[in-house]
Formats: sequence, C-alpha cells, structure tokens
Amino acid sequence: MSGVELENVTVRLGDTDVLRDVTLSLRARTVAVVGENGSGKSTLARLLSGLAVAREGTVRVLGLDPARQVAELRRRVAVVFSNPDAQIVMPTVAEDVAFSLRTEKLSRQERTERVTAALGRFGLADLADRSSHDLSGGQKQLLALCGAFVRNPDLVVADEPTAYLDAPNARRVADHLLEDAAHRMVLVTHDLALARRCDVAVLVQDGAVTRVGAPDDVLAAYEASIRW
Amino acid sequence: MVTLYRPGDGPWYRLPTGWKTALLLVVVLAVCLLPPTWWAAGVMAAVCVACYAVPGIGLRELGRQAWAARWIVVVTLAGQLIFLDPEHAVANAARVTTAITLAGLLTLTTPATELLDTVERAMQPLARLGLDPQRAALTLSVTLSTLPVLARLARDVREAQLARGGGRSLRHFAMPYLVMVLKHADELGDALAVRGVR
Ligand SMILES: Nc1ncnc2c1ncn2[C@@H]1O[C@H](COP(=O)(O)OP(=O)(O)OP(=O)(O)O)[C@@H](O)[C@H]1O
Ligand SMILES: [Mg+2]
Repeated sequence: MSGVELENVTVRLGDTDVLRDVTLSLRARTVAVVGENGSGKSTLARLLSGLAVAREGTVRVLGLDPARQVAELRRRVAVVFSNPDAQIVMPTVAEDVAFSLRTEKLSRQERTERVTAALGRFGLADLADRSSHDLSGGQKQLLALCGAFVRNPDLVVADEPTAYLDAPNARRVADHLLEDAAHRMVLVTHDLALARRCDVAVLVQDGAVTRVGAPDDVLAAYEASIRW
Repeated sequence: MVTLYRPGDGPWYRLPTGWKTALLLVVVLAVCLLPPTWWAAGVMAAVCVACYAVPGIGLRELGRQAWAARWIVVVTLAGQLIFLDPEHAVANAARVTTAITLAGLLTLTTPATELLDTVERAMQPLARLGLDPQRAALTLSVTLSTLPVLARLARDVREAQLARGGGRSLRHFAMPYLVMVLKHADELGDALAVRGVR
C-alpha cells in the first residue's frame, strides 16, 4: 500500500519558498513530523491535505495527486487541526459528526448508526444533543476527531491536534490517533513523547526535510541541533 | 438569541417539520396583519401563550425566549415611541416579539439537520434559477453555528484589551477583532474543505 511520496517538492507562499526541494517516501503506518516554529510543518500537512499546492515537483498521497484528484483525496484522507473551535460547523454534537457523512449516499438510519457508533467510540454518546459550542476544549477536539474518523479514512493528517489540550485530554486524543490500526497517520507535533510513539519521525528545518528515520534517532538529532 | 434544539416530546415535537414551519409562518403572518391596537397586542400575547402552553414546552420557556429577545424588543419599542403613539408602538413591538418567540418555538423543537433538510426542500424550485439549495442551506447553518464563536472572540478581545489596561475604545477593539474573525473564517474554510465541501 502506498503512503506518501514527495519528489523535489517546492511550496511557495507569498514570495518565499516555505518548503524547498523536499523528497520523501513514507510507508510507515504512523509518522511524526517535528521541527521548530515556522519550519514548514503545517505547510507540509496542508500539502498532504490538498490545501496547499506544490509549485514544483510531484506529490502522491495514497497514490493520489492532491492537485488533480481532490474529491477522491477528500474521501480517503481526513484532516484534524489544532484549533477545536474552527473545526465545528454544526450546532449540535451529533449533527456535526453527521456533517462528515453528507457526501456519502447513506439512508437516514445508516447515517444515524454510523454517527452513534462514532460518538460512542470517542466517549461523546451522552453529549449527542448538546450544543457543540458549549463543549470544553478537550471535548471539542474529541468531536473534531470523531468527525474525521466517522468516514473511516485511510489516512489521517493531524496538525498539532493536542496543542490546546491539558495532559489527560491530550493523552486521550493521542491514544485515539495512534492506537487504532485501521488507518495511517501523519502527525505534526511539538510533543516529543508523542512523536516517540510513532513508527517513523521526520525532522523539518527551515523548509527542508533534514532527517527521516526511527523517532529516537531523529529526535536526538533535533535536540542536538538546538543551540541554547 | 438563536435558540437551539432541545430534545423533548409533545405535539410540537411530533408535528412534521414542513407542516410545523408552514403553520407557524401562517400564524406569524396573521398576527402581522392585525391592526395596531391594544386588543391586537393582547391577542398576540394570547397566541404566544397558547402556542407555548402545550405539553413538552411550557410557559417558563416562553419567558426564557422573551427574555432572550429583550434588547430587540426594547430597541423596537423605544424607536417607535419617538415617532408613534403608545398604542401603535406597543402593538408593533408585540408583533416583533411574537415573530421571534414563535420562530424560537420552531428551532427549539426541530433538530438543525431537519430544519436544513426542510429549507433545502423548500428551496428546491429555485434550483432551476441556478441557486444551489444544498449550498444555501449549508451557508445558513454554518452562519448560525458561528454566532457563538463570534461572540466569544469579541469577549476575548475585550478582556485582552482590559487586561492590558486599555479602556473601552472602539478603535482598539475593532482592529484585533476583525483580524481574529478573518483568521477564524480562514480556518473554518479549511475545515469545511477537508470535510468535503467544495
Ligand atoms: N500565507 C502565508 N504567506 C507567506 N508566508 C507564510 C504563509 N503561511 C506561512 N508562512 C510562512 O511559512 C513558514 C512555515 O510556516 P508553517 O506554518 O508551515 O510552520 P510550522 O512549522 O507549522 O510552524 P509552527 O510550529 O509555529 O506551527 C513560516 O515562516 C511562515 O511565516
Ligand atoms: Mg504549524
């Protein structure tokens, strides 16, 4: 099964190349992306999600070209962002999850069943009819995950999904992301303990991918590169 | 001010959404056609009470709805009192209050998804004019569910302003608020895109 393949990819935002000549082949199931603020991690995540386009080079995500096969990409790739507020689009919890199934042709009953099952998995069953904006930050982020997972994606791209959460909630979200073996995962994170739990880590420095490999090695290189 | 669905049971819950919308629309329309007199204002109040005094809703909820609409009512009433006699002003304010509370009855007893489906179906004939009913309904619902966020952003900006010793200046409020709203809109756009909206 193909994962993520980048070949000499350059992404330009405004008048700077935010990613420069990135070549990367990722086949591991869970991949952590680490690096300093402003190094280009989010841009990489957006590239894989089809939200940013490559100026040069070729991009393949699950064998798809994000620039040309957007509809298929959306069906198979789910994306989770860090700001829980900006990911909620419907007034109540259950409806927000159901929103993700909008484009799938399902009967009302099938849709309800899928939503109920997903809410149960993320411990949100009791909150189904609550106003989604009244949830706590951690609950909102679980809702965002729920909305992503209800579509049974093949790949989940998450950009700092635990950034706004306290330790127990961060732990809960991380467990959901990493322990479910049904999907692949690209996880942008500043949480190095979380990065260690992935199969492979990628280090991004100043718009370039400088290291790919076992998390322990990559993180050691990252820490060594930081000069105080 | 926009009330959300509150799960429950009772006649208003069991009525199919289409009929419920049509019925409430007719009542609001009829109320608006009443002459602006004292007794018409009384009739409007009676209509509201009658609509809420059914199993599953209750008059307490009517109080809540009216309270939530208080500023609109006050502003309407004050504005009209300047130009009209008290009878006209009160009757007009009663019309507005009735329309708001009856609309609240609809959103209170109907899940947003069903309301959306109904809006979508009602707008279907407009599809021939090039309007996309699904898109229109979606825009409506995203707008509704964004209102609480906009309110919270406003509060955040105001608090940050106060925390830094700033006064309540509109100029110092408007800029950061606009930036935050635009940023939110940008992020929301991304979230909609990745969830399959094109
Ligand atoms: N729309 C834009 N126009 C111009 N430059 C941008 C734009 N968005 C981001 N950048 C720049 O691109 C660089 C990489 O940004 P990116 O958001 O990918 O970094 P990041 O690694 O995710 O950082 P962080 O850890 O802070 O989230 C930064 O220097 C940023 O200033
Ligand atoms: Mg980032």
